[in-house]
Amino acid sequence: MSLLRTIADGLRSLFRKERVEEQLDEELCGFLEMAAEEKMKHGMTRKDALRAVRLERGSLAVTKEVVRSAGWESFVETLLSDTRHALRRLRMAPAFTSATVLTLALGIGATTSIFTLVHAVLLKSLPVANPGELYRLGKESRCCYQGGYSQEKEFSLVSYDLYKYLRNNTKGFSELAAFPSLELLLGLRRAGSPEAAQGYPGEFVSGNYFSMFGIRAYAGRALTDADDQPNAPPVVVMSYRLWRQKYGSGPSVIGSVFDIDGKPFTVVGITPPGFFGDSLRSSPPDLFLPLNTEPYVQSDADLNKVDTHWLQLIGRIQLGANPASIEAEMRVELKQWLRSHWSDMSANDRARFPEQTLYLTPGGAGITAMREQYEHWLLILMMVSGFALLIVCANVANLMLVRGMERRRQISLSMALGAQTSRILRQPLTESLLLSLFGGAASLAVAFACTLLILRFAFPAFAGFASVPISASPSKPVLLFAFVVSLLTGIAFGVGPAWMATRVDPVEALHGSSRSTAREGSLPRKTLVVVQAALSLVLLSAAGLLTAALQRLENQDLGFVQDRRIVASMDPRLAGYRSDQLPALYQRIHDSIASIPGVSSVALCQYSPVGYGWGAGIWVDGHPAPGPKDDDSAAWDRVSAGYLDVIGTPIVRGRGISEEDTASSRRVAVINEAFARKFFQNEDPIGKHFGTEADNSRKYELVGVAKDARYLTLDKPDGAFFFLPEAQADYSQTNLGSLFLHDIVILTRPGARLSDAQVRQVMASVDPSLPIISIRTLQEKVATQLTQQQLIAHLTSLFGVLSLVLASIGLYGITAYNVGRRTGEIGLRMALGASRGQVVRLVLRGAFLLIAFGLILGIPLSLATSRVLSSQLYGLNPYDAVPIAIAVAVLGFFGLIATLVPAHQASSISAAEALRSE
Amino acid sequence: MADKPSDLVQGTLDMLILKTLALEPMHGYGIAVRLEQMSKGVFRLNAGSLFVAFQRLQRAGLIRGEWKATENSRRAKYYALTDQGRKRLTSETREWGRQVAAIARILEA
Repeated sequence: MSLLRTIADGLRSLFRKERVEEQLDEELCGFLEMAAEEKMKHGMTRKDALRAVRLERGSLAVTKEVVRSAGWESFVETLLSDTRHALRRLRMAPAFTSATVLTLALGIGATTSIFTLVHAVLLKSLPVANPGELYRLGKESRCCYQGGYSQEKEFSLVSYDLYKYLRNNTKGFSELAAFPSLELLLGLRRAGSPEAAQGYPGEFVSGNYFSMFGIRAYAGRALTDADDQPNAPPVVVMSYRLWRQKYGSGPSVIGSVFDIDGKPFTVVGITPPGFFGDSLRSSPPDLFLPLNTEPYVQSDADLNKVDTHWLQLIGRIQLGANPASIEAEMRVELKQWLRSHWSDMSANDRARFPEQTLYLTPGGAGITAMREQYEHWLLILMMVSGFALLIVCANVANLMLVRGMERRRQISLSMALGAQTSRILRQPLTESLLLSLFGGAASLAVAFACTLLILRFAFPAFAGFASVPISASPSKPVLLFAFVVSLLTGIAFGVGPAWMATRVDPVEALHGSSRSTAREGSLPRKTLVVVQAALSLVLLSAAGLLTAALQRLENQDLGFVQDRRIVASMDPRLAGYRSDQLPALYQRIHDSIASIPGVSSVALCQYSPVGYGWGAGIWVDGHPAPGPKDDDSAAWDRVSAGYLDVIGTPIVRGRGISEEDTASSRRVAVINEAFARKFFQNEDPIGKHFGTEADNSRKYELVGVAKDARYLTLDKPDGAFFFLPEAQADYSQTNLGSLFLHDIVILTRPGARLSDAQVRQVMASVDPSLPIISIRTLQEKVATQLTQQQLIAHLTSLFGVLSLVLASIGLYGITAYNVGRRTGEIGLRMALGASRGQVVRLVLRGAFLLIAFGLILGIPLSLATSRVLSSQLYGLNPYDAVPIAIAVAVLGFFGLIATLVPAHQASSISAAEALRSE
Repeated sequence: MADKPSDLVQGTLDMLILKTLALEPMHGYGIAVRLEQMSKGVFRLNAGSLFVAFQRLQRAGLIRGEWKATENSRRAKYYALTDQGRKRLTSETREWGRQVAAIARILEA
């Protein structure tokens, strides 16, 4: 009640100020009059009486001020008046205001845009119901497949059989859903439509996937457990995006039959617009199919392989259930399940049985492979933009200091007249906060544009695919972040200068001489310039180091040749090919493309560099069987004849895969040098035999050794790697995924040009229904591996240039200011015979002293930063002095330019004129 | 000596004003004079403290003001206790008595 009255009364004072003032005035006057009358009754004159009352009771003006400032509204009032005042002052200095707001917008905008990404990738939960109730299996996300009955560190992928066992026996989950870890491309076309199937990302999910997430269909219905049965009619749920973009949100889609990899499916529903599946990835799935349709679609089905672990699990726990006890329960179940397969386990699996365990971790963010991949990049970028923001703060603080100088006389006057320090402090502070808030508001536009740019660069969109589900438009947390950063920035650059402004001696400042304060206040400005120079050096050398690392990655010997190579990607599965049809298809593709004019040679492979490879365990003939702790792994690729020549990997010994390797000749393999080192230390590998299973160690005869190359990743040379001839593959095996070759590598003749259209046309003549996923030069394909590095290097360079410009402006500002103030001194020196050169040197010495301090501070900081960077990045040499030396040179050069201008001005001062100005 | 409100025991000024108004509505100067008379000149209050207290008590709903003519036919704002103010006075007086008695006991012990 009384709170309400306090507020109402305060509001009345605010809005009906004059009337309230009048009444207070009248009441107080009456009070003082009555007191004076009392005194006059005792014989005082009116004048004396009034004077006595003022002394005894306080003056009218002071009392009014005391009463007025007692209410809460006075605080608001001061705030409003301070704001009005600050706005007026800012309007009066449009150049200063716009320059400051722009600088701040850049600094805050850059930081906010990085935060937008940090928020989306590192902090955000999936857009599903109550993400806090979700838990997933595994501490780290693991990809693809794990075979056998043991997994290193933790059991994080499970087979369908194990999934069913866990799902049926764990009571703590209200739903436990499963889906594969591997991203999958599915060929989709409306049944009966004449067009070729088009590839879209799809995912097999357990029937309770949508109910586990609490996601209802936008139209039609979601998948249910009834759909996920071995003999259920095949149905599919389509993403909202695909439905809208490809089929114009047509209602007829629901209930229609579509061919997926050549198999008919009925579309039963559409996912809601914001839903992007179980993980943040660059191309979210457009098709959700029941797990049990996997054998129907995939010829090499994994569903019923008890020891092929390929599914990830996310579950929603029962209300009030304890995740730790669910985890304990599941560990027991895992052991029970493993025990029940004891007879199928290999000796090594049995040996590893005791340490088999699993972990349950919060799953509200889904499968966080992207988070793990981008985490350190984003943190580096956050650090870089933070440095840039600090430089911006230093620059604006410098400008504020100059403003403070200009107001010294006004402030000393106010203080001489008795103004409170706090009140004087508030004014420049209000100004800083207003500036930073304006800057913050403007930064939202900068952040939006910047985020859009980064997203486009980091996640290049494939035509027809969904783009990465990260929105550049600011969300509530991002707005809050920008607001808080603006406030902090305002305080950071505002408090110092504001405090400095009040440190004036009223008497001294009022003397009005410009000389009396000449030296004061320049120390903080110099410090700021030093800090700016140091931070710029850090950013410049970081940019240099990152760029050098990137160039090293780009120019290193990859072990294959990028020049004149074109890679066309396809997937025969999308067109519904069976494995026995493949050899003829590959032959037709090879012959048709080889006949294009300008093509020198062509070969097919599962995966061309750089990217994927399959893994296998190696059993060398004549060597002891690998033990439980032995690393017997090697990567491999299935390639057609002449592949190593086409891709340009030299053969060190023996021969490559060639035409003489046919289905009827002896089974051969070509290994790389790392394979030879790993398995044949001192032996000659040529003529030796190895296999990939215990009972077939004589399966392949080694006929050649290829040079080490970087097929899997650019960061480091591949480990053990071997090549198998496509012609010797066992096409009678209907469920072997490795039979499907994905890449066609084309070597063109020198000077010849091969257009995409030519390749597509030839491929269409082979089979019009076979979709071509992409056609790229090998250079482009390799470059996509470097987009992250490029992005980081470019952004850091951008921030480095920005900071260099700001630091130069700061240096120019303080040098010009000092020159202006020392006009008299310089004139005197020149009158006493100093040459122009000496004057220039005098000015330069002052400026370079600042730069030198900046370097002294900046070089150790740069070294520390490069240590941090190198711990995060491969290929970055923290002891590489060249980038730091270049950064020092660049900073010195720009510092020289920034100071030469005022130095030149100083030297052209006429001695007589300068002395007269005193 | 005790001419400043800060020398009053914290919060007692409000209670004294309420007590003064318990008999009849009074204007600001009247209250000041009455307080001085009753304290035999110990409490001489300046206008600032008094008027801040009036504003505070008004906002708390313990007194209410009304413009009226004085005996000298001058216009003045008369303050009167509200029902709430009367209740507060009773409770504060009782509390004050309790505290004084307690302090006295401690000092005499």
